[in-house]
Amino acid sequence: MFDLNTAEPMQVDVPLEDNENNETECYVVENPTLDLETYAASYTGFAKLYRLTFVADHCPSLRLEALKMAISYVMTTYNVSLYQSLHKKLAEAIATSGLPDVAVQMGSQDIPVLDSMWVESKTKKAAIKLEKLDTDLKNYKTNSIKESIRRGHDDLGDHYLDCGDLTSALKCYSRARDYCTSGKHVIMMCLNVVKVSVYLQNWAHVLNYVSKAESTPDFHEIPGKDSNQAVLTRLKCAAGLAELATKKYKSAAKHFLGASIDHCDYPELLSSNNVAVYGGLCALATFDRSELQKQVIVSSSFKLFLELEPQLRDIIFKFYESKYASCLRLLDEIRDNLLLDMYLAPHLNCLYMQIRNRALIQYFSPYLSADMRLMAAAFNRTVNALEDELMQLILDGQIQARIDSHNKILYAKDVDQRSTTFEKSLGMGKEYQRRTSMLILRAAMIKNQIHVKNTGRDTGPQGGEAPGSSTSLNRAFDTVPL
Amino acid sequence: MASPLEQFVNNVRTISASGNFRELCEIISKSDEVLQRNGAHLNTVLETLDIQQHSLGVLAVLVAKFSLPQSSNDVDRSTMFQQICDFISNCNGEQVRFCPELYADLCHLLTDHLVELKQPIRGIEILKKAIRKIQLFDSQLTSIHADLCQLCLLSKCMKPALEFLDTDVTGIGTELGGNNDSKHFLLYYYYGGMIYAALKNYERALYFFEVVVTVPAMVVSHIMLEAYKKYILVSLILHGKILQMPKYTSQVVCRFLKPLSVAYHDLARSQHAAVKHRETFLRDKNMGLVNQVINSMYKKNIQRLTKTFLTLSLSDVASRVQLSGPVEAESYILNMIEEGEIYAMINQKDGMVVFLDSPEKYASPETLCVLEQQMAACTKLHQYIQEMDEQIQVNPQYVKKSVGCHDEDMPATSQNSKTTYTM
Repeated sequence: MFDLNTAEPMQVDVPLEDNENNETECYVVENPTLDLETYAASYTGFAKLYRLTFVADHCPSLRLEALKMAISYVMTTYNVSLYQSLHKKLAEAIATSGLPDVAVQMGSQDIPVLDSMWVESKTKKAAIKLEKLDTDLKNYKTNSIKESIRRGHDDLGDHYLDCGDLTSALKCYSRARDYCTSGKHVIMMCLNVVKVSVYLQNWAHVLNYVSKAESTPDFHEIPGKDSNQAVLTRLKCAAGLAELATKKYKSAAKHFLGASIDHCDYPELLSSNNVAVYGGLCALATFDRSELQKQVIVSSSFKLFLELEPQLRDIIFKFYESKYASCLRLLDEIRDNLLLDMYLAPHLNCLYMQIRNRALIQYFSPYLSADMRLMAAAFNRTVNALEDELMQLILDGQIQARIDSHNKILYAKDVDQRSTTFEKSLGMGKEYQRRTSMLILRAAMIKNQIHVKNTGRDTGPQGGEAPGSSTSLNRAFDTVPL
Repeated sequence: MASPLEQFVNNVRTISASGNFRELCEIISKSDEVLQRNGAHLNTVLETLDIQQHSLGVLAVLVAKFSLPQSSNDVDRSTMFQQICDFISNCNGEQVRFCPELYADLCHLLTDHLVELKQPIRGIEILKKAIRKIQLFDSQLTSIHADLCQLCLLSKCMKPALEFLDTDVTGIGTELGGNNDSKHFLLYYYYGGMIYAALKNYERALYFFEVVVTVPAMVVSHIMLEAYKKYILVSLILHGKILQMPKYTSQVVCRFLKPLSVAYHDLARSQHAAVKHRETFLRDKNMGLVNQVINSMYKKNIQRLTKTFLTLSLSDVASRVQLSGPVEAESYILNMIEEGEIYAMINQKDGMVVFLDSPEKYASPETLCVLEQQMAACTKLHQYIQEMDEQIQVNPQYVKKSVGCHDEDMPATSQNSKTTYTM
C-alpha cells in the first residue's frame, strides 16, 4: 500500500476509496431470521430487485432463494441486462455452494435456466415500445400540447426505468419539468426524479428535489387531504433516506418521524417497517432523553410504526427505562437482520456505537462516582474494555469524569470554570497575537510585492546561483522548476 | 580626456558635495562595469575617497572589488574583513540608505567570505551593526537579517540573532521586495525557524516556518520545501498533529509540497515511519527533530492519560503509551513531573501513578501580571492595525478608487468620475 503511494503520489486517494467499498461489501451474515417471502412482498420495482440482490450478496444461506425470487420478478419487466447479470450470479452461487449433485437435481426442478428466447423477445419488444413512445412524443411536440408532451416524457421515463436505464429515465423525468402546468404536476415530476435519484444513490439530488416539491406554491392546497398526506410522507421518507446515507442521522430521524402511517405506501422505495427501524435507530442514536420521550415514545403517529417492529419498540423502551444491558442485548439480536438492509447496513456500526456511547453517558450522568465493576456488568463488558470506552468518551469531552484505575471507580470531575476561563482567554490572546502579527507581516509582504517567482536562473545578477547561496545544509536554494 | 575611472571619481566627489545622492545612485549603477574592468586600480581609487563623505562611492568600489572572481590576483582578500568592517562602522547611514541593494550586497559578500573561511562567528557583531545602521526603525526587515541568522546558525551561537528575531516585522526594506527575488526573505524566516527550533522555542519556530510556506508563490522554492518539512515536524512536536495550512497559502504550494514530503506525513500517522524513512530523514538532516517528535508523542500520550485517569499503574501507563515497560514509563513520568509538564505522584510501593490537577489557580499576582502584559500586547497590536487601516483610508489611490466605484453606481455624475475610475 504505502510503497504504491510513495511511487505515485497523485493516486493516494484512489486506493482509499476502494478500501471503503471493500469494507462495506465483504461481511457475511450467517444466521438471519428473515422471512424472505414477506420481506420481498413489501417492495416493488427496483427496490425489490436491489434489496434481494443485496441479501444474496451478503447471506449465503438465503442466496439461492433470493436470486430465484429476483429472477422471477425481473421477468415481469423489460430489464434484460439485470436478468442476465442475475443469472450469472445464480450460476456462480450454484458453483460455489459445494453441493453439485443437489444443485443439478434442483436445477432440473427448481432453478430457472437462462431463457435466451425471453431475452431476445423482450429486447425486441422494448425497442418497439421505445420507438412508439418516441414517435408519440414527437407528435405531441409538433402539436405542442403541453400536457401531452409532459405525459409523453413521463411515459418514456417509465419505460426507461422498466428497462433498467436509470440515467435516461432521470433525463426524461427531468425534461417533463418544462411542461408542468400545475403544482400537482411539479410535485409528480419531483417524486419521479426523487425515486430515480434514490436508485442512483445521488443523495444531493434527492434532497434538492424534495425541497423543490415542498416549496411548490400550492403544495398544501392540493384537493383531497389524503393524497397530500401521502405525498408528504413519501417526501419525508426519501429525504430521510438521503440524510441517513449522508450520515446526518439526527435530521434523518426527524424526517422519518414525520412520516404518517396511514399514508405510508411507498413500495418503490421502502416499507413501513423500514421507516420504523430507520427512524427508531437514528432517534436512539442522536436524541437526548427528553427528545426521545416527546418525539418517539409518546408520539401517537410513530407509536403505530413501532408496533410493526416490536423488538425495536422494546429496545427503545428499555433504553428509556435505563435497562441498558437488556437493551444492548436485544440490539445485538436484531443486528444480523439489519445487516441485510441495503441502506442501513453501512451505517449500522456507527449507529450502534453512538447508541452505546449515549447509554454510557446517560448511565453515568446522575452519579458523582460510579463503580466500574457494576457498570461493566450493566453493559455486558469486561472492566478493561469499559475503561477503554470511557477513556475515549472522556477525551472527546462527552463525559466529564476521571478514572481511578486502581480502585476501578469513575469519578465525576468538577470543572473549575474560573480556571478554564483564564486558560482559554490566555490561549485566545496568544492566538490573536500570532495571527495579527502574521497579518501585519503579510500586509508588508504584499506592499513590497514579495513573492516566489521564476526569475533566478536566467536574469538574475542578484539571483540565487552565487556559490555562497549554498547554505549550512549544503543545498543550493533556488526555485524548483516544477 | 580623463579615463572612465577618473571620471567616476570626479563624479562621486562633485555630486556627493552637492548632496544630490539620488543622481549619484544612478551613476553608480551604470558604472558597475567600469569598476569591474579596472580591478587592479580600485585600491588607488579607494584612497582618493573619504568613507564618511563619499560613502556611496566607497560602497560601490568595495562591492565591485570583492565581487571580482576569486581567480583574479588583483584583489587581496586578506584585508577584506577589515575593510568592510571599517566601512560599516564609519560610513554615513543617510547616504547609504539611498542604495540599500548595494549595501546588502556588500554584507552578502562578507557573509559568503566568512562562510568560506569557516569563521562565521567573526561576522556576527559587524552584521548586527550593519543592520542597525541601515534600518529606519527597529521592526524593519532587511536582507542582511538572513545573513546574520546564517552566521549564527553556522557558529552555533544563536543568542545574538534573537534580538532581531523576537521583534515582529512590520516593515520590509525595499531591497527585499519589488523585482528582486525573495530568496533572502525566505532564508531569513527559514533560518529563524531553525534557530528557534534549536532553542526549543517551538511556537516561534512554527510561526517562522509558516511564514515561509505562506509567502505568495508562483513556483515552489526549495527553501519552502525544506521549511515545510520542518513545519510538519515542529507542528507534530507542539500539537501532536499536522496543522492545516492557512487558507491564503498559494495553490502551487499546497499542490506540490505534499507529494514531496510523503515521509513526513507518514510520520504523523505512525511512529514506525521514523525507522522506515530513516534514510530520507538523515538525508534531509532532520533526524534530530524526528527523534524529538517521537519523544513528544510519548509525552503527549501521557498527558492525555492525565485527563482521563486519577490513578493508573505504571505497567498500564506503559501499555497504553506503548513504552517498553514500567521502568521506562517511570522515567518518562519523572522527567515530565520535573519539567512541570504534568502534575502527578508516583507511589513506588504499589507502582501506581496518581495524577493531580494543575496547581495553577490563576489567582497569584504573577499570573495576573502575565495576563495584563498579554492584554497590553493585544491592545498594541490592535492599535497598530487601526493605524494601518487609517493609512489606507487616507491613501489617495484608495480614496479615488472607492469614490470612483460610488460614482459608477450613480449614473448622473460627470466625466470626472470616469477618469478616476480608469486609474
